[in-house]
Amino acid sequence: MTPRAWLKAWNAFFFEKQSPLPIALFRIAYGVLVLATLLLLRPDWLTWYGTHAWISLPTMQTIEPGRRIDLFTIIPQSDGWINAFFWVFLTSAILLTVGLFTRINGLIVFLCLVSIQQRNLFITNSGDTFLRVTGFFLMFAPAGAALSVDRLMRIWRGKEAAVIQPLSPWAQRMIQIELSLLYFAAFCWKMKGPLWLHGAALYYVYHLAALKRFPIPAWLLQPTILKVGSWLALALEFSLGVLIWIKELRYILLGFGLLFHLSLEYSLNVPLFQWDVLSAYILFVDPADITRAWNWISGGVFAQRDHR
Amino acid sequence: MKKKVIQFDSPQLSKRQVFGPQKVKRIAINLFLGFHILAITCWCLPIDTSLVSWGKHLVRPYFLWAGLFQSWDMFAPTPALANSYVEATIVFKDGSRTTWAFPRMEQLSLNDRYIKERYRKFTENLQNDQNDLLWPDVARRIARITSTPSNPAKTVILIQRWSPIVPHADSAYQPEPWDQHVLYGYGVKPEDLR
Repeated sequence: MTPRAWLKAWNAFFFEKQSPLPIALFRIAYGVLVLATLLLLRPDWLTWYGTHAWISLPTMQTIEPGRRIDLFTIIPQSDGWINAFFWVFLTSAILLTVGLFTRINGLIVFLCLVSIQQRNLFITNSGDTFLRVTGFFLMFAPAGAALSVDRLMRIWRGKEAAVIQPLSPWAQRMIQIELSLLYFAAFCWKMKGPLWLHGAALYYVYHLAALKRFPIPAWLLQPTILKVGSWLALALEFSLGVLIWIKELRYILLGFGLLFHLSLEYSLNVPLFQWDVLSAYILFVDPADITRAWNWISGGVFAQRDHR
Repeated sequence: MKKKVIQFDSPQLSKRQVFGPQKVKRIAINLFLGFHILAITCWCLPIDTSLVSWGKHLVRPYFLWAGLFQSWDMFAPTPALANSYVEATIVFKDGSRTTWAFPRMEQLSLNDRYIKERYRKFTENLQNDQNDLLWPDVARRIARITSTPSNPAKTVILIQRWSPIVPHADSAYQPEPWDQHVLYGYGVKPEDLR
């Protein structure tokens, strides 16, 4: 590939305008997941982040030194202020979900999300990390350009046409790259472990009592099945990390990925992680297919209504 | 008066417009993209070369500040090989003792274990010797939770309990006996209970 061809491909990938529908749908899913994270945490807001939390702010700063975005270091350390912080965060997540003042709420949600994770890194799981790093790029994306109150207001004011205008998808591409790196890095880490290569890893995972969720049929826990499962997980993580970029393979891989995450959601108690990751699958769906699916759904609904 | 909208892709653009703010913006975005793709790749892939280590070292302050640090080593390279949990023995002023345990997911309802899962993650980290700086804070909070004004906690002992997961040839899983290990002992001070 010549440098000129490479540059052309780079520009096409990051800057060729496309419908903002996928990123708008992702924004909605992202907002709902942030809300779900906050509501699951609700009974323990002060337990984890309050003035008498499990880990004090000075201890956290000693363990994780350095300059960091952490709003807890600038708000007064009282439980009232900390509760207020969470209500602002929650409100902002709702506004981001509906797409009202999308850009500023994207920024507020990201700052609050980083802050709660920096305040206590010892309770964060990979789903939280994924929300944090994708939230960073979401701030730069035209996430309010479709399916948002912002857009409705622009249409009412005559500033925007009813037809959704295509926009440069570079920030969306970064979130897609994050997702593919997540899978590829997970694959690389597992390849370093003899238990994964040997196929024995899932035996241990599925016998960790604290991670169990719904019951699994005994035959699925047979060592041979778990061995095949361990290798399939490796193959799938590699495919979703690398082969996902091949258009012809994309939908079938997303389908397998969906089944993979749903099976993990059923069997393992890792709240929201699977949904956090699955939310980014939307970004790999062709906008034309989203429109087609929407027309099909709305056509069906309207047809039913007309029929009545 | 209607404003004239200039399209960047318009063929009528003059050279001045092409090399104007739009061009600068495009260059800035390209630098941003190139840097972040390279930096995130270096950061999260487990590649042990001096170049990658140098790259990680270089971007570390920015990643920590901006919240872009990340690792995707779920159950890897080796999943946990034992079931474990943390509990505390508290000795009170009157000499009595009690045991306090963090919520254990396997003992909670389906709903509660989804809500309280942060405790599983927290105790998992608590058992790591590298996180020993957490132990005094944890001991102090347990002392506060369990003390009464008439009978305050005097000592808190954090104990790790574990049972190894051992695969058997006949594929039937047999839970192994529990073992224990004292993580930390803390002498409670009066100011800890305020």
